[in-house]
Amino acid sequence: MTGIIESEHRPLKGGYISMRMKKTGTAIAAAALLTVAACGGGGGGSPTETQTVGEGGDAGSGQDPEAAGPAAEIEGAQEGGTLTVNSEVSPATLDPTRSYYTDSTAIMSDLVTRSLTQYKYDAESDSMILVPDMATDLGTPNKDFTEWTFTLREGLKYADGTDVVADDVAYAIKRSFATEELPDGPTYQQTFFLDGDKYAGPYEDGTDYAGVEVDGSDVIIKMRRPFGDMPYYGSFPAFTAIPEDADTDPAKYGNNPMATGPYQFETYKPGQSLTLVQNENWDPATDPARHQYVDKWVFNWNQVQSKVDKVLIADQGEAQTTLSYTDVLTANYAKAQETDRLVTGTSPCTYFWYMDNQKITDVKVRQAVGWAYPYQAAWRAGGLIEGVTRSASTTALPPGTAGRVEFESLPGQDGKTTDPDKARALLEEAGEVGFEIKFPYQTNVPESVQAKDQVVKGLEDAGFKATPVAATSDTIRDLQADDKADINIRGSGWCSDWPSGGSWFPAIFFGDLVGEPGIPNQAQIDEPDVDKQINNILDTMSGEEANAAWGELDKYMMQKYFPVVPIGYSGVALLHGSRVGGMSNDNVRGMPTFQDMFVAQ
Amino acid sequence: MGLDNPADKIDAGASKAPEEIAGRSPWQLAMEQLRGDKVAMICLGILVFFVLVALFSPLLSRAFGVTIDTPEANILLSTTGFDGMPVVGPPYNGFIWAHPLGIAPSTGTDNLAFWMYGARTSMGIALVSTVAATIIGITMGLVAGFARGPLEAVISWIIDFFLSLPFILVALSVAPILVSRFSTQPALLSASQLVALLLVLSLTGWMALARLIRGEVLSLREREFVLSARAIGVPTRSILRKELLPNLIAPIIVSFSLGLPAFVSAEAGLAYLGIGVTNIPSWGRTINAASNYYDTYPLYLWAPVAGVLTLVVALNLLGDSIRDAFDPKTRR
Repeated sequence: MTGIIESEHRPLKGGYISMRMKKTGTAIAAAALLTVAACGGGGGGSPTETQTVGEGGDAGSGQDPEAAGPAAEIEGAQEGGTLTVNSEVSPATLDPTRSYYTDSTAIMSDLVTRSLTQYKYDAESDSMILVPDMATDLGTPNKDFTEWTFTLREGLKYADGTDVVADDVAYAIKRSFATEELPDGPTYQQTFFLDGDKYAGPYEDGTDYAGVEVDGSDVIIKMRRPFGDMPYYGSFPAFTAIPEDADTDPAKYGNNPMATGPYQFETYKPGQSLTLVQNENWDPATDPARHQYVDKWVFNWNQVQSKVDKVLIADQGEAQTTLSYTDVLTANYAKAQETDRLVTGTSPCTYFWYMDNQKITDVKVRQAVGWAYPYQAAWRAGGLIEGVTRSASTTALPPGTAGRVEFESLPGQDGKTTDPDKARALLEEAGEVGFEIKFPYQTNVPESVQAKDQVVKGLEDAGFKATPVAATSDTIRDLQADDKADINIRGSGWCSDWPSGGSWFPAIFFGDLVGEPGIPNQAQIDEPDVDKQINNILDTMSGEEANAAWGELDKYMMQKYFPVVPIGYSGVALLHGSRVGGMSNDNVRGMPTFQDMFVAQ
Repeated sequence: MGLDNPADKIDAGASKAPEEIAGRSPWQLAMEQLRGDKVAMICLGILVFFVLVALFSPLLSRAFGVTIDTPEANILLSTTGFDGMPVVGPPYNGFIWAHPLGIAPSTGTDNLAFWMYGARTSMGIALVSTVAATIIGITMGLVAGFARGPLEAVISWIIDFFLSLPFILVALSVAPILVSRFSTQPALLSASQLVALLLVLSLTGWMALARLIRGEVLSLREREFVLSARAIGVPTRSILRKELLPNLIAPIIVSFSLGLPAFVSAEAGLAYLGIGVTNIPSWGRTINAASNYYDTYPLYLWAPVAGVLTLVVALNLLGDSIRDAFDPKTRR
């Protein structure tokens, strides 16, 4: 999902075209500063010994349309108890329509709100698989993927005992167009759905929307252009069921949304805490992925990470049934690893140094930057753990993306090699020795300042002139979002909304986006052949064919134009207490697999 | 202080050498009392040590063979592990002479060099700010106390105005303004951050002294010696300088000596918040970076903490002793 960037140990993501990185309290870092991410950790509470980021496998690229409820029992699972989750960040909202960060989507989808489809953890591949949820399968498309039909299961109920009907799902879809009243949610519906550019949601335009039809228990969604990734998109909490008469005040609905999953809200204090209790009306027989092992979930947000780490490492009393979904601090990593209770894994993000292709026009200069960048030194100075929270990257698409092609963007560059001589040779060839690189950093974030120092050294060694541009954690996003800013590098990243190139290229490498407000195409790459292929894939391909074509496009674009320096794939390192069971890494989000977790007695 | 008390000497020496009764100025009395104060002398010794470290930090660094430079990538990668913790020296390996206090995790910079240069930053900033704040405070206090009419009202209003400024908020709001103004000029940015820090510290640190001085002046200005000076036509400037100021030396020195440690802590505090200087070594910056390592790499944190703590305690105790020495009421 998302978008972007960095900062210390906070994950979270942001969105499609509109935003890269929206993370709370974080910042992006100019040079690769901090990180987040995830990678495939150990299953069932016992992390594998040497997890390496970047080998997480298929982040949800697997699909199982046949999966049926109830979900298989987790080995050793027991019922009862309370799990406590402490986190350094807090979700801004839990309204299903607005849930777009990794934490809000994981909490809502795994525990509270069911949607058309969902992800299920597959222990064998240590990866997430897309399976049906409220729908009986992963949807049936028409021939050219412009119409999708989802059939709802029998026996779906809200926590109050009333039945879930197809009209409620249709209303939830309509509601997602109300981006004025309900901002910050995913916006693919506006790009792909019929009249998505015209319909402004039920509050403004009424519920009369041609893009969604209901026929008995069927929900039919019509597109204005082919949308082969609809089954993935249907897993967002926005595609849950919301009865129209329950949505009397859109601003307040998120304070206690109608629960369809195994848990429902008991108390919710936005930004502070959330308590979930069991939903008696959830029927496991209808759900192929979720479990209802614990009696209660308690989420505490805005905690101090160093304290969270200490408590979990000490593992006394209540800490034994506690976990965190924000990364362990670098300072505590060694101790955390000794506990054997650290779950590591990938999250589907790649961090980039986006080079402004309109200002750094010579591809040789861009390639020189790729050889000059001090990958390992910048990671270390930036407080990242090599191989855990950040690993070497050679492609734009992160590992686990369906159809991804493994290749080296610069021949011989394994993603962590710095070779000033090669860089200088390229610069000389281009006649650009002394080329000025202007990149932002944050003066008030020590890791950013430290990484900046290493990057300056690396660039200068290679014959560049390095000009770090000072910003603060409050201003760096505005600086990088300003297409007039006097910088020619933007450091940030991108995370998949679903594991296909379809949530990457049209969002961040599409030439038509050059000049758009907010600079979604941060590399400002505007190459007709790349654009043509993006349009070609969007308009004529779907499914496996499209996935493979995105993978090839990645190779073609990176090797021919090298518009961005891939500076690392992301990973997560999450700690849990000794009686927490079933915790693995959800590599679609870089979050714990809440739906499988239990308390060991 | 009893033994050196002039009164004792007078008794003891009365029979032998009456001429030694000769008068001593309050200054001499105070100095004499200070010299006999063990605590003050120890603190002075500590202070001298820090002053020497600060003055000669480049030479000392060279003597130890350490520098504050950012290490080259190959040195960084060979001295830190994949998780950034040092693979030489503390906390996991033995002492090495190349880095007596170890190296910083992640960045591989030398802790001793940063400590010594940090002392220089702390003391330099504290000294300059204290001097500036003292000069402003004396001037404003004298004028406010001696002036009558509108000028007094205006100055009193200015003092109240500055007293109402929340120091941390001012510092917090100045930092981003500077960063955006000088964002592309790293050299100017560090210079401006330093100047801004000095300005913020001194402009928010002079009011207490000004009020103190104003009060003293108010009580002095109707005294006979001032009235006579006015009667014979001495210009106001001279009255302030020659008649009033000498009577205010004691409170000024006390305020100065207690201001220094306050500014040392303020500088470290601001650096800890990330809004002080960001491109020069500073104890506060190191403490900020090291706070997450308090149990995995204690030395990294405790060295700068000990520096701030020792210096501030020494300065405070010395300041107390100076106050006692200059205050006739505490002199026995």
